[in-house]
Amino acid sequence: MEFNNNMPIYLQVMHRLKQDIIAGKLKPGDKMPSSREYSQELGLNFNTVARVYKEMEMEDIVYTKRGLGTFITESSEKIESIRFEMAKELIENFVNGMEQIGFTKQDMLSFIKETNLMN
Amino acid sequence: MTQILEINNLTKKYYNKVALEDINLSFERGKIYGLMGPNGSGKTTLMKVIIGLHKQTSGSILIDGNPLSYKTKANVSYMPTENFLYDNFKVKDVVKFYEDMYSDFKTEYVLQILKDINVDTEFRVSKLSSGLVGKLKVALALSRDVDIYMLDEPLNGVDVLARDVIMDIIVKSHNENKTFIISSHLVSETEKVLDSVVFLKEGRLELSGDAEELRQQHGLSIENLYKEVYK
Amino acid sequence: MFKIIKYDFLKKYKLLLITIISSVLLNLFLVVKLGVSGSISFLAFFPMAMIFLYIGDIIKMYSDDLNKKSGYMLFMTSNSGYKIIVSKVVTAILEGLSILLLYMIFIIINSIYISTAQGFELNVNIAEVINAVNLVLSGNLGFNLGHVFVFLLTAFVVAINFILTAYTAITIRKSLFSEVKLGGFLSFVIFVGLNWATSFTTGKLTSVVSPYYDNVTNFGNIISATELVMILLPVVILSAIESVIMIIGSGYLLEKKINL
Repeated sequence: MEFNNNMPIYLQVMHRLKQDIIAGKLKPGDKMPSSREYSQELGLNFNTVARVYKEMEMEDIVYTKRGLGTFITESSEKIESIRFEMAKELIENFVNGMEQIGFTKQDMLSFIKETNLMN
Repeated sequence: MTQILEINNLTKKYYNKVALEDINLSFERGKIYGLMGPNGSGKTTLMKVIIGLHKQTSGSILIDGNPLSYKTKANVSYMPTENFLYDNFKVKDVVKFYEDMYSDFKTEYVLQILKDINVDTEFRVSKLSSGLVGKLKVALALSRDVDIYMLDEPLNGVDVLARDVIMDIIVKSHNENKTFIISSHLVSETEKVLDSVVFLKEGRLELSGDAEELRQQHGLSIENLYKEVYK
Repeated sequence: MFKIIKYDFLKKYKLLLITIISSVLLNLFLVVKLGVSGSISFLAFFPMAMIFLYIGDIIKMYSDDLNKKSGYMLFMTSNSGYKIIVSKVVTAILEGLSILLLYMIFIIINSIYISTAQGFELNVNIAEVINAVNLVLSGNLGFNLGHVFVFLLTAFVVAINFILTAYTAITIRKSLFSEVKLGGFLSFVIFVGLNWATSFTTGKLTSVVSPYYDNVTNFGNIISATELVMILLPVVILSAIESVIMIIGSGYLLEKKINL
């Protein structure tokens, strides 16, 4: 995985993991590698990965079972809400980007219709 | 004690220049620190004072709560940027030296690393290219089992593939008990493993902080932040 | 400490080997070319040359560790300054004793050659050999083995003392005077000063002991080796005391003040 050093790395790892969950690459209840193993896989400091797991646990995306490891949530609602959050973020980025090149929100909707991007 | 290394009001003067001025720093156990700054900013001097090769002019240093002495050296593994190895020794003789002198030295481990990075143990140090010497130095330093590792430009003169191997070894060696202090001009290649950074400028502490926080705060990579600071 | 000594010898074993082989070859060459006088010349030349080589090598050994980057190898290890300086002195003593031993062997072998060359019958047992050596030395050099031994041992102690004055100056240069302008010059001044102090004190001590010298008009023929020891003892003791002081001083500087 390539990292953009201009923003916090742990956020990028979290983002990637969320994508993998939504895409089904990581299934509900899947066991995550230990923060040590995962950090070596990514070539990162294990503190960074530990932080990722901690933050994701705070967001209820993963949970830890003492002595057994860290697991992806089994709640399909949670996974849906992650999907929703990511979609929202993508839309926001889209809207911001389009506004910067002079589109109003109305223009954007028409543009999408016209260019058949949704077909 | 989580402060494995404490530096209090450290000053180092030479008769014609001030190498370090009133440095106050605290290093926590289990973190990887990036020590940064241009040539002459004091990074090497700082490391040499910690390992006892240089004597400070004033100020104190505590390693795991103990003032510097020959005993604290046993807990520090320093990799100087210079070629300091005995010229006419073969690599395997240098390995033997480390094995003899350091009770914590992991011989099998270093021999494996040397194999992985293509350093022939039969070669004399004087016959090694600077790239190979660089790799050898890093391998030796990382094969100690101590609480503090100080690497002065570990990637200097080392080829791209070996750099990855070295960064990989650093990450693998790192755990919650071990502290790494890495000084490197190649900020972009080292920054993703750093917990914290320390910027020195003309012997003074310019900036220090958590790497991720600094990225968040400034919206810049540590490398770009470096360029800003030393413009 | 033994490890430090071991590596100091490992670093120079090739040099020592070359020295031994060259000496043997030189001895053979001189004997082949000049016979008995060649043998004697060698026995006279060897210690003179070796003293210089020895002192040079021992001083270089320390100077390299303090002045070159390779010194980092030693100074990054967890050894106290006292251990380091004592190790260096022990190495110096071992190396010196080895050279003395080598010289003794050369004396014995050359003496055997000289006696046979001059026609003496030689049954090879210890008593005969020592007899031959004594005859040879008394005849050709004016002393017996005992005298030679005493002189060499005294020279040895004095050499160690001299070496330590160099060590002390080098240590001061890399500690107290490391950040001082003209530090090198000042250290050299100290070196000269230490040696002057040694000769000055030796001179004073000798004049105190001078009554004993009245017996000596002709070395070798008049005094025994034991009497020689009594004469030289003050010098030896003085050198030993000074050496110990310098070891402690240098050890302290290496431990607390070193600035490589």
